[in-house]
Amino acid sequence: MHGRVKVKSTAQQEEEKRKEREKKLKIYVAARDACFSKRKEGICDDEALQITQQLLSSNPDFATLWNYRREILMHLETVRDEDEVQKIYQAELSFLESCLKVNPKSYGSWHHRGWVSTRLPRPDWARELGLCDRCLSLDDRNFHCWDYRRMVVKMSGVPVDQELAFTDRLIGSNFSNYSSWHYRSTLLPLLHPESPEPHSPCREPRRASSPPSPQTHSHRVCEEQLLKEYELVQNAFFTDPNDQSAWFYYRWLLGRAEREEMISCVYVSRDEERVAVAFSRPVNAQSVGLLLVLDGQPQRVEWRSVHPRFKHSPVWICDLPPGTISDVTNEHNLTVHWTEKHTHRDCALYTGDAHESWCRDSATDQELFRSELSVEKTSVLQSELQSCNQLQELEPLNKWCLLTIILLMRALDPLGYEKETLAHFQTLKEVDSMRSAYYSDLCSKFMIENTILKMEYAEVRVFSISDKNVTTLCHLDQLLLVTHINLSSNQLQRLPPQFAMLQCLEVLEADNNSIENLEGVFHLPKLEEVHLKNNKISTLADLQPLASCPKLKRLDLRGNPVTQTANIESELTELLPSVTDLQL
Amino acid sequence: MRSGLAESVVAAAFSRVGQRVLHLDRRSYYAANWASFTFNALLTWIQEHHEESQPEEVQDWSSLLEEGEELIYLLNRDSASITNLQVFCYASEEDEEEEAPDTTGEDQGGDDEVKETPETESTEGEEPTTAAGQSQSEPTRKKISFAHLVKEGRRFNIDLVSKLMYSRGSLVDLLIKSNVSRYAEFKNVTRILTYRGGKVEQVPCSRADVFASRQLSVVEKRKLMRFLTSCVEETEEQRAYNGRPYLEFLCDQQLGDNLQHFLLHSIAMVTEDTPTEEGLASTRHFLRSLGRYGNTPFLFPVYGLGEIPQCFCRMCAVFGGIYCLRHSVSCLLLDKDTNRCKAVIDSRGQRISCSHFVVEDGFIGADWKREATPTRFLSRAVLITDRSILPSDSDQQVSMVTVPPIAAGCPAVKMVELCPSTMTCMPGTYLVHLTCQSAGSAYHDLSPVVTRMFRTPESHDQESSPTLLWCLYFNMADGSGLEGEGHDLPNNVYLCSGPDAGLGHEHAVRQAQAIFQKILPDEEFCPPAPNPEDIVYDGENNSSSTPGDGETLEGEKEKEETLEGEVEKEEKVEGEVEKEEKMEGEVEKEE
Repeated sequence: MHGRVKVKSTAQQEEEKRKEREKKLKIYVAARDACFSKRKEGICDDEALQITQQLLSSNPDFATLWNYRREILMHLETVRDEDEVQKIYQAELSFLESCLKVNPKSYGSWHHRGWVSTRLPRPDWARELGLCDRCLSLDDRNFHCWDYRRMVVKMSGVPVDQELAFTDRLIGSNFSNYSSWHYRSTLLPLLHPESPEPHSPCREPRRASSPPSPQTHSHRVCEEQLLKEYELVQNAFFTDPNDQSAWFYYRWLLGRAEREEMISCVYVSRDEERVAVAFSRPVNAQSVGLLLVLDGQPQRVEWRSVHPRFKHSPVWICDLPPGTISDVTNEHNLTVHWTEKHTHRDCALYTGDAHESWCRDSATDQELFRSELSVEKTSVLQSELQSCNQLQELEPLNKWCLLTIILLMRALDPLGYEKETLAHFQTLKEVDSMRSAYYSDLCSKFMIENTILKMEYAEVRVFSISDKNVTTLCHLDQLLLVTHINLSSNQLQRLPPQFAMLQCLEVLEADNNSIENLEGVFHLPKLEEVHLKNNKISTLADLQPLASCPKLKRLDLRGNPVTQTANIESELTELLPSVTDLQL
Repeated sequence: MRSGLAESVVAAAFSRVGQRVLHLDRRSYYAANWASFTFNALLTWIQEHHEESQPEEVQDWSSLLEEGEELIYLLNRDSASITNLQVFCYASEEDEEEEAPDTTGEDQGGDDEVKETPETESTEGEEPTTAAGQSQSEPTRKKISFAHLVKEGRRFNIDLVSKLMYSRGSLVDLLIKSNVSRYAEFKNVTRILTYRGGKVEQVPCSRADVFASRQLSVVEKRKLMRFLTSCVEETEEQRAYNGRPYLEFLCDQQLGDNLQHFLLHSIAMVTEDTPTEEGLASTRHFLRSLGRYGNTPFLFPVYGLGEIPQCFCRMCAVFGGIYCLRHSVSCLLLDKDTNRCKAVIDSRGQRISCSHFVVEDGFIGADWKREATPTRFLSRAVLITDRSILPSDSDQQVSMVTVPPIAAGCPAVKMVELCPSTMTCMPGTYLVHLTCQSAGSAYHDLSPVVTRMFRTPESHDQESSPTLLWCLYFNMADGSGLEGEGHDLPNNVYLCSGPDAGLGHEHAVRQAQAIFQKILPDEEFCPPAPNPEDIVYDGENNSSSTPGDGETLEGEKEKEETLEGEVEKEEKVEGEVEKEEKMEGEVEKEE
């Protein structure tokens, strides 16, 4: 049509582009080869700087070239005076800026920038900080830039409060930002540290005897600031309850107690002439300087974990030299020293009928399971629970909210809220079916904790958790003294190696589960009865661990596939000679 | 004829697909009632409108008629669209060294062109209050005098219409699609405000706003977010409210008074009796535009809205359109047999033949219109103030303010406050535009809102409000009533309306597109302009070029150069602009 502007056709454009690309490639390859040969000859001149610059500006991810460039720069440092070096490095920084424009997530460019910044004779940190701000305003999740920024902040000593204000700004513009929340969690404890001694009274005596390690306090925040943070993060999750970043930060705020390192239990059995020690966390007793003193005499004993699989374990046992405590007419005083932590625990074995003795802190004494969320003030937790309940009313199917409510309930009153907790878990499994196994395991853990608490309050050595949909076993170190365990009618698939911590166990009831593995029923010195009706044990080999339990007399294997094996009875008699009452 | 937004878009669209376009405007400036003026130009404009009141002599061109032709005279009074101009100046006449107590004189802006009004005379009684308030709160601030405003007058770009661009509205889409966006720069409106209970509050509308809001409780935050997300999709529940007021629907959502106010007045920007489906539609329009370029749904062109028609004119010129300002058509030549407009006669008696004629409806006499629709008017006020109505950390806020009816029967007012970085006002001042549907004169409609929200000599106890330095009231014809078909003109004459009352530009763009498609149904409307390097120039590709092509291309280059002169003003100041968002850049980022 008349007067119409003519435009090149797409084919023409394509062809031109192709030619252009070919030309570029030729130049690129030639420059690269020139670089490599120069480096081989060890030439560190301006020309080399120029060629590498050309190449890197089109491809900033060429690590070898960055290395070569550093070699050249380090060489120039030795031959030029400071002003010149300053100029060279400044030019390098502006060159890097252009590289970052090509690829703002280039590992090579950021690393090189960090390297240059530290070698610059007179660095301009404010400028670097400005660069980071610009970069983060374009992409607030660029972790390369976050890393570099942390380095700049460290080198230039930016005040913590200024950095906190920076996170305020970033979170304000977009709160879906893990980096900012996380940065906040590292800054707050520095700016508003927790006041030194706000601990629950029941733990106080112990604290007095053994001062807490510094890291116990290092990442807690004072309550006043904590309340402000709760408000901030609530604004985020009320605005968008499906955004994870705020919930994760909230979890961090609610805290995670670190248990004090100590010996939580010492148990001694006269019959087996054996000592079992439980620690507050898994340790390697062979290397932590464990010392057993019996009636004032240090003993040479060999510590072993309850199962050969464990190098680290919360429970360790040792056999005393034969005859040392077997005489019932003698009273014995036993002390276990944990020399590394300057802590110890005594245990007295009295005369008479006493076949065993122990000394320990119970789970209730330690408020062990509550302190998983370690905010000390109940009132604070209570009001947080209220807010979450409010949100849950508005968003009944929000998984983050449900999970947080469960955790708060556990921290406040695990037994009192048991029913609600179970109901919430049910909802969670429905709304987030992809993670239903995770919720089942978590629920099992909480149910076990509750059962332990109930047992402790009742002051018995019977642990019974039947028909509770338990899928996994945990906290078995807390069951060191249990003599009778009932796990019937759950969904257990195995008795894991940790099960061997039940050193006092006499009766094991685990009917109606899906157990196929008995690895943990291992060297249990007092075990007499094992009930495994209606499980999934299929081979003789699976029963092998039972052979290590010397006192096993009764075994019920009805309803297991293994009973269909040929010659099962004679095989079993051979495998487990001590068993007298076998039900197949 | 006339270079309003719709006419300019039409011109660009035709020129772009190779049609020959002659674009005339009797004014000496582009954009007609869509124009932006420097302060001084605005004063001249005001003066012209006062002088033009007497009708011009109609020249008789019947001698130019040929066989079988008939004349249709066009009205020559485009100024009829502007009425009730009133100017008030509260800034002192001259610069002062020190702040004196008698600074709030009632001097009139352009002296003789201002009507004497009782309001300006009653000012003296209030002086002590205002002056004392100011010297306490802003001891260091120097008062801006009228002379200062005039001296810095070229820093102002005062729009006659006040509109904003929806980030996903048809104008933004068109600017991007046609590449016209390269001729302008844009700023985000940074916040949405509302006037409520005598206070200006920020309306949280984006996710970040809701998060940061201090007025809302966490529960309200959740309810608001939930409502906004649920709005996006149409539901059965919403349909059940069709025909019933939106307010009723909002009430039943149990959102509470706060949220109801925000949603009705600031997000949907409708009235209490607007039907639910309409309220929801405008809520969705708002939400769709949110987050594309920033935390509010709106963009504002740097240097004012008058830039937009000019950008399209430029595009038209680049593709060969010819522009003549200070030049108009006085009548159409009608071919009686075909009922088509064969040619036009310009004001100098020159006959110009044409195949289609597009004109603003203000030039068409009432006898040609099928229905004598009573012309509706918009009430406008333009204020220059000394500070923002809601000061914040940043003094470079661009705010959209919704003011619900301050009393029963009063209109809802839309207000836009522009900061100096939009290049529409001088540093230290804010430019405030008020718009509403007319009930009476602009002064009658808008002055109650102005006196409540700003400190004028008439207002009381407003020490924290911004001081009004200068203000202009006028009424402008509302173009939203015009339907393209509602006239008995020849079928190749097309009407565009002047600015409409809507906040966005949907009306004008729709009009332009309809005209284009009626004339060239098979051509694309404003296809992307090619990159300069992809254009084949004469000589580069000899085989396919004809001599004719060469001519037009050369002519076009010339045109482009002359137009460049027109936009020189823009480029000169470019250096001062620091942080504008280039729309093109933004779009790239989005991808």
